[in-house]
Amino acid sequence: MVSDELLRQISDFIHHEGRLCDLSRYADWEALWTDDAHYWVPRADGLDPEEQVSHINDNRRRIHTRIHQLLTGTRHSQVPASPMVRVISGITVEAIEGDDYVVGSNFILLELAVQSTHDQHVWGGRITHRLRRTADGWRMAGKKVVLVNADEPIPNLSFLI
Amino acid sequence: MRIEQAVPIDYDHLIQADRVHSALYTDPVIFDEEMDKIFHHGWVFVGHDSEIPKPGDYVTRQVGYQPVIMSRGKDGAVHVIRNRCAHRGNKVCARDKGNEKVFACPYHGWVFDLDGRLLDTPQADGYGPGFDKSEHGMAPAAQVGVYRGFVFASLNPSGMTLAEHLGRATELLDRCADLSPEGELKLTAGWLKHKFKANWKMLPENDCDGYHVDFTHSSFMVATDSQAIGLIQDGSEPVVRDWGNGHIEIDFGIAYRKRGIPFEWFGRVPASKLPNYVKAMVARYGEDKANALFCGGPPHAIIFPNLFLGELNVVFYYPVSASECVQLYTPMLLKGAPEVNKRAIHQTEGAVGPGSFLIPEDVIIAERNQAGLAAQQPEWLDLSRGAHREYQQDGLTVSHMSDETVNRAFYRRYKQAMQRDLRGAA
Repeated sequence: MVSDELLRQISDFIHHEGRLCDLSRYADWEALWTDDAHYWVPRADGLDPEEQVSHINDNRRRIHTRIHQLLTGTRHSQVPASPMVRVISGITVEAIEGDDYVVGSNFILLELAVQSTHDQHVWGGRITHRLRRTADGWRMAGKKVVLVNADEPIPNLSFLI
Repeated sequence: MRIEQAVPIDYDHLIQADRVHSALYTDPVIFDEEMDKIFHHGWVFVGHDSEIPKPGDYVTRQVGYQPVIMSRGKDGAVHVIRNRCAHRGNKVCARDKGNEKVFACPYHGWVFDLDGRLLDTPQADGYGPGFDKSEHGMAPAAQVGVYRGFVFASLNPSGMTLAEHLGRATELLDRCADLSPEGELKLTAGWLKHKFKANWKMLPENDCDGYHVDFTHSSFMVATDSQAIGLIQDGSEPVVRDWGNGHIEIDFGIAYRKRGIPFEWFGRVPASKLPNYVKAMVARYGEDKANALFCGGPPHAIIFPNLFLGELNVVFYYPVSASECVQLYTPMLLKGAPEVNKRAIHQTEGAVGPGSFLIPEDVIIAERNQAGLAAQQPEWLDLSRGAHREYQQDGLTVSHMSDETVNRAFYRRYKQAMQRDLRGAA
């Protein structure tokens, strides 16, 4: 469906995007988004976000609020920012819709809650990116993260997942 | 810190008028007593009847440590029964929610009615003539009460009634349901679940704490250009209020009504964006009362011991241990108000839940609070703020929104529960 070169570009973008999250490079991460952005962490796959409450369900404006809050330096639940490393695997282009590439991947993330307990949290699940090739290079229009334990009690999710 | 169990715990010493002892947050023996005396022998919030609209609908919950099922019987009545097979103790329902004609245990196939009565035992000839099915049901809660759709249960057959427990605090639940043009709520958008390492009591204490907002949540104020500080500074001040029996609130509505700006509590959404809602409310209540509801909004209150009504969010919690807790959140949807509900869901996502802009700060502060208590000096947590300036209004104690009047009220009820043998009397 896509050439090796295209898949390499997509894969590079997704790893870069994940690395910005790991390093809490908030402004750089925000710059990846298009204006019609949707950053979404539902309670389960297949739920309608207009009917069912989500953990995170940000449009572009709310992404900006999220980043602005993190950049204040007094978002206590991320002061200091959680050290993180994620492994992303199985990157697959699932659909091409106009200029958009819908890309699936799996991830496992280690997050150290240095703000309080110093517990190491293990997060994991399936990501669906909506990537777009623009005049300025690749951008992200959607990121859906379906956690394996999305409908279980989870710890603070105020870092970028 | 651990209290020696050789002598009964002296709650008169641990809970004083203006301070409480650290051990209340850290001691596992006290935690076990709380589960027994407050959660297993008092009224607790279990769910909302809108979660189980049809006969056979059920959700699984906890009362204290105990797994329960809240179900809708064939007759339409709401039941709360222990999620335990009366045969060998198997947890009968494994799912969060569903619809069943009967509850069938997967172990040996015992079948129970939706109210917990035993209907059938496979290969029944294995039970002799002395076996009485009526003695082998899934054990029901001793008392179940529903007020404006909020379902409460008590496992204590001889304790107070729900009406006695709620007392005047029914007004808080009324203030929620009255915001619906049909007078009913729908808690149908699902529950966000959040876990953290702090004592459960830090939640009700923090939820009605007006003192922490400018500090704990300063990043939110900056990022959203919040008006909350203005509300406090312009003289139309919110107050805290003790409703009795441990039910407490910060009344922001009193300030909102003084300012007279409709929906200030709802992100100042212009009434023009909610035309059908406004019309339906005016039709139900008339112009003046509808406008008062639009200005005042829902409460910000704790119903003792485990329900928090936080504007259009409903929150409750399961204590796990002296230092662990799980909190659950859902938007308070108004029946007959789709314009409001669409926004309410997104407001809940912004305000509460593990990924929101407010609660993660409360949770991290609670975890640090728990960690700080490991330092054993000073032994006490100070709750004296505002004791000198409380006043009476309509028979209730009221004070400045930053005062610990509400903490003292919570602990008065807590102490009563911990000192009383709730197995016997109210």
